[in-house]
Amino acid sequence: YQRRVRGCIAMKTQTFARIAFRLSSTKQEILLRIVVLTLIYIIAFSTRLFSVIRFESVIHEFDPYFNFRSTKYLVNEGFYNFINWFDSAAWYPLGRIVGGTIYPGLMLTAAAVYWIAHFFHVTLQIRNVCVLLAPFFASNTALITYLFAKEVSDSAGTGLVASAMIAIVPGYISRSVAGSYDNEGIAIFALILTFYLWVKSVKTGSLFYSTLCALAYFYMVSAWGGYVFIINLIPMHVLILLFTGRYSNRLYIAYCTLYVLGTILAMQISFVGFQAVQSAEHMLALGTFGLLQLFVGVNWIKKHIGAELFQSFFRIAASIGIGSFVTALAIGQATGYISPWTGRFWTLLDPTYAKEHIPIIASVSEHQPTTWSSFFFDLHLLVFLFPAGMYFCFRRLTDANIFAILYGITSVYFAGVMVRLMLVLAPISCVLSSIAVSETLDTYLKFVKGRKGKKVEEFPAQKEIGLVMVAGLTVLLVLYVFHCTWVTSEAYSSPSIVLAAKQPDGSRMIFDDFREAYWWLRQNTEPDARVMSWWDYGYQISAMANRTVLVDNNTWNNSHIALVGKAFASNEDTAYQIMRQLDVDYVLVIFGGLTGYASDDINKFLWMVRIGGSTDPNIKESDYFTPSGEFRVDSQGSSVLLNCLMYKLCYYRFGQVYTEKGRSSGYDRVRNTEIGNKDFELDYLDEAYTSQHWIVRIYKVRSPDNRG
Amino acid sequence: MESILQLFEVPFHFLRVPIVRLKTPTFPSFSPMLVFCFVFLTYFLVLSGIIYDVIIEPPSIGSSRDEATGSVKPIVFMKYRLNGQFIIEGLSAGMLFSIGGLGVIILHRSSQKLQSEKVRYLLILAGVLCVMVSYNLCILFLRNKIPGYQKSF
Repeated sequence: YQRRVRGCIAMKTQTFARIAFRLSSTKQEILLRIVVLTLIYIIAFSTRLFSVIRFESVIHEFDPYFNFRSTKYLVNEGFYNFINWFDSAAWYPLGRIVGGTIYPGLMLTAAAVYWIAHFFHVTLQIRNVCVLLAPFFASNTALITYLFAKEVSDSAGTGLVASAMIAIVPGYISRSVAGSYDNEGIAIFALILTFYLWVKSVKTGSLFYSTLCALAYFYMVSAWGGYVFIINLIPMHVLILLFTGRYSNRLYIAYCTLYVLGTILAMQISFVGFQAVQSAEHMLALGTFGLLQLFVGVNWIKKHIGAELFQSFFRIAASIGIGSFVTALAIGQATGYISPWTGRFWTLLDPTYAKEHIPIIASVSEHQPTTWSSFFFDLHLLVFLFPAGMYFCFRRLTDANIFAILYGITSVYFAGVMVRLMLVLAPISCVLSSIAVSETLDTYLKFVKGRKGKKVEEFPAQKEIGLVMVAGLTVLLVLYVFHCTWVTSEAYSSPSIVLAAKQPDGSRMIFDDFREAYWWLRQNTEPDARVMSWWDYGYQISAMANRTVLVDNNTWNNSHIALVGKAFASNEDTAYQIMRQLDVDYVLVIFGGLTGYASDDINKFLWMVRIGGSTDPNIKESDYFTPSGEFRVDSQGSSVLLNCLMYKLCYYRFGQVYTEKGRSSGYDRVRNTEIGNKDFELDYLDEAYTSQHWIVRIYKVRSPDNRG
Repeated sequence: MESILQLFEVPFHFLRVPIVRLKTPTFPSFSPMLVFCFVFLTYFLVLSGIIYDVIIEPPSIGSSRDEATGSVKPIVFMKYRLNGQFIIEGLSAGMLFSIGGLGVIILHRSSQKLQSEKVRYLLILAGVLCVMVSYNLCILFLRNKIPGYQKSF
């Protein structure tokens, strides 16, 4: 009986195995794709969690703190109060119209996730939603890149490779790590979504996809100022298709729908408003729209009248048309109705512009041009596969391929101009590299497998060569993964609000001075106290210390920043006048001399002088250098530098501190020199708080003496 | 209507129209591969950091003084910084990137129809060499530039 039962069970498992595993090959393929995409989704999320695991779930950097504060305001006050928010706690005494000067997409997305979660009684904290929003959207980007690459190359394998590559590419991770709650985190998702829907609508000519593309474009406009890239790239694509004779009805339907609906939707964002039809950055889209109508109209007329009549008609019409367009453009430019390219975008076309004219743009390190090592560090294997992928696209040109090529070329140029735009290069390099990988694998796996039926080029050692190639490519991809993970772990996962250093015995020392000082401000000063600091720290002070600041990272008012720069660069008497004018109660400086923290205010000081000097000609940069042109803080330093407010606030009482073995007191560990002006007292300020490692120093401005 | 047309005819009673053979300028057509070569050249230039070179104007090669002899030693790589480079360093790295890309393209060409088998094996060898050498040299360059670039998890 037992033998019969065992036999029965064996037969039952056999039949079950046969039924369960007898999926058709298409179903197997779909299952494999779903499994791979799920794994990619999980990987894209988890590789961005290094800083959450090492430190805690905290918002990083500077800009995300403003976004976090705005999201809290949105969640607490509601949508309409958020859109109409006037923030009087920033840019004292000017205030800032927040509702009209931000891209609200990020805050609305985070608030939507928060409200949906709370609707299902999953009570997430808003801070955790904000911290983890970027990894969540990075996973979504990986999925959309799968769809986009599949559309461009008509091959699902390419899509999977592209998706896997973009999940871990360091160029994208740097701006979407957990805690980096910034516009780019959701903007890249919106960018790829718009491009995917654009390619789909050009390929199908369907009104449905074109409308979806316009909606995705609206989401992109609400998310990031980089939407200007889309509204210039898509018209360029349309023009290239026109000039290479690839015009079709589908293109007409796709572009007209996108332009009309997209522009109307873009104007709903108050920050964009009428710029969408007035500013020079949008003129190419308008011009292409007009040109497309002309092209279609001319073709329609050509069909209806004869050829010779058409020739003469065309000449007259073309000359009138071009003449009136040029005069309209000239009048628009001359009367100022069409505003010229703003400085930020003009720098992309003429990279030398910012260095000469706008020091604030030039001072941001993200806006510097890119070196070869940044390219290789952020893209690794993709720099080799990118031109190969372009080659494969050029071999078999289709409408979608041309779009990928155009996107690739323009993004390589822009990434070369500004390091920050490496982010825009990362997705297309993943897509083009995946085309190269996929084509190579296709060719060499055919050698290994040998296709049934069709004739394949037979040559000796074909199978072995195929195996070697596939193995080599696999090794390269594995090395890519190792590199990406190392870069994510070591370079891009630092919160910058909390610093960590390895001690000689291997243990980790944490510097939490920033949060310590901001909380001191929050708990020990009057609620309406005004804090003066350099603009870098404005957002953090507003968000964590909840106090009014004079200037912050928005940098919209250059002369206000120049006033603060002048205050820091002048001696105490002049600075006190400015501080009384601006009603300043506390001054906050960042000082790295005790710890060796190199991004402190003394290293940024020359920028304060330059920006202050851009409005007040009495502040000359040369005054702060030694006669031989060096910037020194020791006894050889210029006396103007040794007596200015920033110097005194950073080095107050520092002259009595011993920082390193074998050195005298007052040794600055960042400038590697003993300071020049050691024993001085402050006339108009009192030291209010210095953090544990002297990184943040807060001073209280004394009220004026009583008369008599 | 007729009189207006006759008015237009008047100048030609005493002006002689010259015989001019003009063709309306046509848009020159480029083959896709020619455009690709141009794009490839641009790619090489941009990835060498030529825009950085033009704006920041670094020296073409760094120099340091040898303490013992006092002679000037050239330094190829700007160390410890990812966001700085010398011109020669950038151009050689860009060259490596282009060679690597060419290697992948050569490997693909070797699998297509060819005249002789010898050419096929030569192309495969060339492609593999290009890719391997350029990748390893790039890693070496990076290790030289950032001494901390190890796989230290």
